[in-house]
This record gives sequence, C-alpha cells and structure tokens, in this order.
Amino acid sequence: MSGKGYSGEKGLAKETGNPKGAGRPEGKGDAGERGYSVAELMAAVMARHLKDGEVAVMGAVSMIPMAACRLAQETHAPNLSYIAGGSGAVNPHLEPLVFSSCAEENLRADAVLPLADVILLEGHGQRFSVFFGGGLQIDKYGNCNLVCVGDWYNPVLKGPGTVGLPFLPRAGRAVLYTTSHNARTFVEKVDFNSGPGFLDGPETWSRQGLPGEGPALVVTPLCVFDFEEQSKVMRLKSLHPGVSREEVMGNTGFKPVLPAEVPTTPEPTLSELAILRRLDPVGVLRNLV
Amino acid sequence: MERTRKVMPIREAIQQFVPDRCQSLAVGGMHMHNNPMALIREVIRQNKKIKRLLTSPSADINADLLLGSGLVEEILTAYVGFEHLGLAPNFRRAVEKKTVKLLECDEPFLVYGFQAGAGGLPFIPYPKGLELNDLHKINPDLYRFTTDPYTGEQVMTAAPLRPSVALIHCQEADPYGNAIFKGGEFTDRQMILAAETVVLQVEKIVPDLVAKYGATRINVPGFLVSALVEAPYGCHPTSSHTYYRDDEEHLKAYLKACKSSESWAEYLHRHVLDISEEEYAATIGRGRLDSLRSEGVFE
Repeated sequence: MSGKGYSGEKGLAKETGNPKGAGRPEGKGDAGERGYSVAELMAAVMARHLKDGEVAVMGAVSMIPMAACRLAQETHAPNLSYIAGGSGAVNPHLEPLVFSSCAEENLRADAVLPLADVILLEGHGQRFSVFFGGGLQIDKYGNCNLVCVGDWYNPVLKGPGTVGLPFLPRAGRAVLYTTSHNARTFVEKVDFNSGPGFLDGPETWSRQGLPGEGPALVVTPLCVFDFEEQSKVMRLKSLHPGVSREEVMGNTGFKPVLPAEVPTTPEPTLSELAILRRLDPVGVLRNLV
Repeated sequence: MERTRKVMPIREAIQQFVPDRCQSLAVGGMHMHNNPMALIREVIRQNKKIKRLLTSPSADINADLLLGSGLVEEILTAYVGFEHLGLAPNFRRAVEKKTVKLLECDEPFLVYGFQAGAGGLPFIPYPKGLELNDLHKINPDLYRFTTDPYTGEQVMTAAPLRPSVALIHCQEADPYGNAIFKGGEFTDRQMILAAETVVLQVEKIVPDLVAKYGATRINVPGFLVSALVEAPYGCHPTSSHTYYRDDEEHLKAYLKACKSSESWAEYLHRHVLDISEEEYAATIGRGRLDSLRSEGVFE
C-alpha cells in the first residue's frame, strides 16, 4: 500500500522544480513570528475536515495526514479510525511521528491488518470514508499522477509508480495534498492518470456510477481548494495567512474557480498546536514545510 | 528416516535454488523494511540473470540494487522508490534509458495476482472503477477484460502470478523452515503462497520456535520453504521489524553513490562483489549495526 497518500516525495519536489517562494508562508521550520509551520497548518486543515466515526486510509510519506488523523482523534473525532500505509496498522499510537509508513513504530496500534486485507477492503466501496492521495501532478479535476512526467514511453521524469492510488474512485471521498504548490504540480491535465479524480469532468464522472463522492479537498502549502459542484473544477476555498490570490494563480497551471470572496485559512489554535507538538516532539512537521 | 533440515549456507542456497537464468524472481519487503538484502546481494555475486523481477507493491533498494547490477531484463512493479528519501536512482535511470523493460502495474495487480497464483484461480476481477486510470492502456497484455457473468458488464482482471523463486526475509524460523513475521508481513506471505520455490533468510534459527511463540503466531509453514539461511542483519540497510531499524545514513550514502558510475561501481564492489555475504557486516561495522537495534517491544 503505500500506495495511497503520495504527495511530494522529497526527490520529486526537487526534480520537478519547486520554485523559490512556493511553499510559503515563509519557508520551513518553526516559522518565527507565525508560531507554526505550514505542515502543521495543513494538518490542522485536514483534521477539521475529518468527521467522527469515519475511516481514513493513506499511503507512503503520509506524515501530514497521520498527524491530522491523530489531531482529529484527540479533538472532535475520537471514533475516527485510520490505516497507516503499507504497515496495515489501524490507529498507530505514534509519539513521536515517524517518516516511513511501514516503520515498526506504526505497529504500536489498536490492531494490525495484513496488507492484503487492507487492499481487499479498499475495493469494497463503503469501508473507507477518506483516502489521502497526491502525486507528481494533480489536475483541475483532481486526477493524480505518480507514474511519469511526459509521455510514458519517453518520460521526462519517471516517477516511482502508482501503488494504491487507482483505488481513489472506490473511497467515500479523496483528500489530496502536496508539499510543493507550483505550476508543474498543478497542471491542466495530468500526463498520466494514475489516481482518478473527476476524470474529464462532470459528464464522464457521473457516467461511471461510482460509490464515492470523488475528490473533496486539496490542501497545499499556499491554500485549500475544494471542487465546484457543477463543473467539478478545483475551486479556491481559502488562502493561508499571508498568501495572495496572485501567488496561488502564479503557481497553479490551470484556472481554478475563483469566488469573489475567499476567506483566510484559520490558523491552528493553541490547543491544536499543543496536541501536534506533543505528538511530534522531534518536529517532523515543523521541519517538513 | 530423519526429517530434512532446510538450513544451508547462503552461497549454496542461491546456487541450488535460483537458476542461472531465472524466469521470474520475486523479492519481498516493503519500502525500507524487511528487504531480503543478503539473498539479493548473493544473487548479484553469483551473476544470476533475471528474466522478470517481481516486487511487493512498494519496492526500494531490493529492486534498485538488482537493477543497478544490470541483471534484470524486465520488472513488474507498482512502485520503486525510497519513500521520504526520494526517487530510486537505478530504477529511474534504467527506465528512462530503456535498459530494462518496465511492466508498470498497480498494487492490486500484484496482490490479486499472487492470490490467484497461490490458489490456482484463472484471474481475479477488479472492482469497478479501477479501470479508470491509464495503466491498462499502456499494458493491454497485462490488463485484460472479460464479461462479468452476473451483470454482463466488462470487468478488468489481474492475471495469476507464480514466481519461479521468491526471496523473503522472516525474523525467525526453526530448522525445518517454519517461520514467523514478528512485525509487519506486508505482502510477503502472498508471495510465499504463490512462488514455486521460496528461499528464506532469517535473523535467527530458533529450534523450539513453536514453544517460544505458540503455533498460531507461526504464519509460514515449513513445507512452503525450500531453503533457509541464517543471515543476522541480513536486511541491512533496510530494517528487520523488531530486530533493527533501517540505516537511513547508509541509504542516503547509497543514493549518493548512485549519482556517478565510478561511485556506483565502488559501492557495488565494496558491499557486494568483492566480499562474501558473511563479510558484509564488517563493511558496515559491528558497532554501527548494533546501534540500529530496536527496543524489542514486540517480544
């Protein structure tokens, strides 16, 4: 598994050229005056989106979704369950957070499923409410690509592969994220569709009669998108503190739906931050983005 | 008549059970965990040619090292990468330069495939919606469609996979090959069930394994195992759950070594070609290996 929540892997972000400035507000780390890191803000956004009683599943390099699930469990969603990547671990009791989705630390958990069972359940169609995904590229309809940049037969960049992302259409809804918001990640149309979102738009999507709702939310270092109900095109939902519309537009390779009023993403509260810092004393999230 | 003990030296296990031109070799382990690196290094030393390499849904240095050694003709995989450490350099280079044929698939193709191979099922149909990605378009031979006899609709299928040989790491086994995954088992058990021949490496041979854990925890029966090798630290630089962590510093050094052909050749000679597997630990340093040991919370 593993497959699931791929978002900008370290090498990928570099290789696809993350322009300086993308990933603001203000770079990495403890983020000085702001008092929280971008990754912590992203985790708080995802946590608030999760509902009590839901079941979430994610893949490799899923530090932010894992922190989000832990945060949600410790605030409004004590009955949320989540499965950590290829480990098959259900509700890892991770303190501190670890980088690898398959590290032994994940197995201190409520239960551990054999991975084949997780893959079986991913096909079920009603078991998993939320699937965290991402990719080298994400397009305006929320389709993801972890396979290659350019033509598959002559790739400009060979990506690592798609693992479990093809299960995205079987989940209740998809939450997409990336740690590198730039015009190479957010493209008009993915070069290779390895994690389907709304496909070519509302007509092709509705024709499939799939069990889930499709992509619901996209969380980036600059902003949050959702999807317009009719057109299924990504819509700017909120701008992170200090980020302008122009900055988002300049780093997005397609034209998202732009409402007249776009609110600012609420900052992590002091109590959310206290929980995140307790879960993550070594600062995985503080040093990520 | 005595019961056959399956323990043997690593050199002999690979000589005897991996053909010089292996039709399909499956390597276990997921991301930087439980990779059967001792067996893989020995395959490279013995210059075994691999027609088709199969991986778990998330391969790492297990596949990348084999690809870098130039022994692999084609690879069936859903992912080769180093998770948070970045892309897999030899995989990427081999695919971009077309020195390996890539049969790119998704995670269920491998897992359904091993299950079908294990059970003699002609194929496994995919749930609806998994045909919406582009993989079947580039792989019409791999992903075939049929009619669902219950609904009349077209469904995509995964073909059975039966690797000729699977190389797998378990933490412990008794001399007859009964073995335990003390931590994660990932998709390694599916590989064991599907493969025609299984070569198993373990951290430790434990004669009274059942007495130690109880039979319900012994999830690999010895009759599926052809050869058993004791290889302490045999997953290095990846982790062996409950025994030791992955060696992130070494993995990073590996990624760096892959950057030029000179440093790559140096790595390959130093850690693989110029030594026996028994000498591998000395190339890393015993003190360093011991510093990676887990706390053993799952004893």
